[in-house]
Amino acid sequence: MNWANKLQSIDRRIIYTILLIGLTIPLIWPIGIPLAVNDTTRAVYKIIEDLDPATDVVLLSFDYSPASAPDIHPSAVAIVEHLTKRGIKWVGVSFWPEGPQMSEGIMRNLETRGLKYGVDFIDLGFMAGAENAIAEFAQNSRVITTDVRGTHIDNLPLMNNITTMKDFAFVIGISAGDPGYNAFIRQAVDPMGVKFAAAIVTVSVPAAMPFYASGQLRGMLQGLRGAAEYESLTGVAGRGAAMMDAQSIGHLIIVAFIAVGNFAYFLSKKK
Amino acid sequence: MRREIPLLITFLVGIIFLFGPITTGNIPVLEMSFRQIVSTYLSPWTTIITAFAIGLASINLLRLHGSYVARKRSGWINSAALVISMLFFTVARIIRELRPTDPEVVAFYGRIFDNIAAPLSGAMFAILAFYIASASYRAFRARSLEASVLLVAAIIVMLGAAPVGALIWDYFPSLQRWLLAVPNTAGQRAIIIGAAIGGFATSLRILFGLERGYLGGD
Repeated sequence: MNWANKLQSIDRRIIYTILLIGLTIPLIWPIGIPLAVNDTTRAVYKIIEDLDPATDVVLLSFDYSPASAPDIHPSAVAIVEHLTKRGIKWVGVSFWPEGPQMSEGIMRNLETRGLKYGVDFIDLGFMAGAENAIAEFAQNSRVITTDVRGTHIDNLPLMNNITTMKDFAFVIGISAGDPGYNAFIRQAVDPMGVKFAAAIVTVSVPAAMPFYASGQLRGMLQGLRGAAEYESLTGVAGRGAAMMDAQSIGHLIIVAFIAVGNFAYFLSKKK
Repeated sequence: MRREIPLLITFLVGIIFLFGPITTGNIPVLEMSFRQIVSTYLSPWTTIITAFAIGLASINLLRLHGSYVARKRSGWINSAALVISMLFFTVARIIRELRPTDPEVVAFYGRIFDNIAAPLSGAMFAILAFYIASASYRAFRARSLEASVLLVAAIIVMLGAAPVGALIWDYFPSLQRWLLAVPNTAGQRAIIIGAAIGGFATSLRILFGLERGYLGGD
């Protein structure tokens, strides 16, 4: 086998090792590559900036699991930090079973900083039924009668003026799959006119673009990059920015291997 | 009647769901709109049925893997791990739901979730990055015009999406945004609209009893 052929079939363990090193080093020693902010991210930022802390309550839907958390949890944290910074109250809900546990960590962090559960935020927990549950909750947001801490919603002031999903000033879905942003669009945005934005896993971004272009999604955080962009807008440092360097190096390594493979392919064809 | 009654139920429920979002007035005799029937009666039912399906699937999974363990079939140890972890997490979550204000219970569930479930799930997802790196190196070859277009688009999107792309060439991010906003959006719209029309046609076939696969049997 000549070297052109060898370059076309590099052992996968070599690729894995180089990628592992390339991803690990920037996580330990961040490079700080500058980041431009997308319009889709700015749109979410502007929506939250325009809300009124005195009256508006935002609904956050935590629809992801630990599997997708590295890509999307930093977005959830960045959005909550912005809401907290502006003093806007929020209600959490989940249509994924693991969702409440994802929001639990965020709430614990807020409580250690002096914010109060029940006053500044609440979490209604998981509602089973996937897209049907989203439809039902959209039409009757009091269908969940107790929150994750066992308090009846009649005793939660944040739910006083909430009857349907339209009563929330804004709805933000943190969405890793199905049910996710598209179920909200079908069940709440189109039939009820709910104002909706989403944080979406990177792999789903191309599929979500038509909904942003049509205005059904008013804003969108695009995976980990979206989180990093949002952190730069709010000025609250988080995990997103730190992990973007690793993503950059990862992408470079993959492109380099693709280039090597193609170079070797053309060389072998010439011979 | 074993076929006619399910077909009739399907037709009636389908019609109510179909007219729910597109009509506003009341149905004369019932004095309720289609939308009200959906939100008051059908929506809670569908939620319960969907939730019930998850329970049914869990029991089925336990039965299947329980039998693998009992018969010591090849790979039974993996089935045993599945059964034990399913039961453990189910019991732990039930206790967590029953005692939501007990700080020890909440902390215990938090610990097992954060230290077992989260790292394992995260690791599974992270392994994909390595697989994709290896697969794209092997698959992305400019063997034809179509493959070359795909290759160039992939490289632009990859470099444009990562901050390092702008350092290499200023135009990578704007080219990536254009690819996502114009050709990708057009393609995605075609897929969405095509799938919606296909879904609607299939729904009509089910509604009128032409498609009966969901009834089971022959």
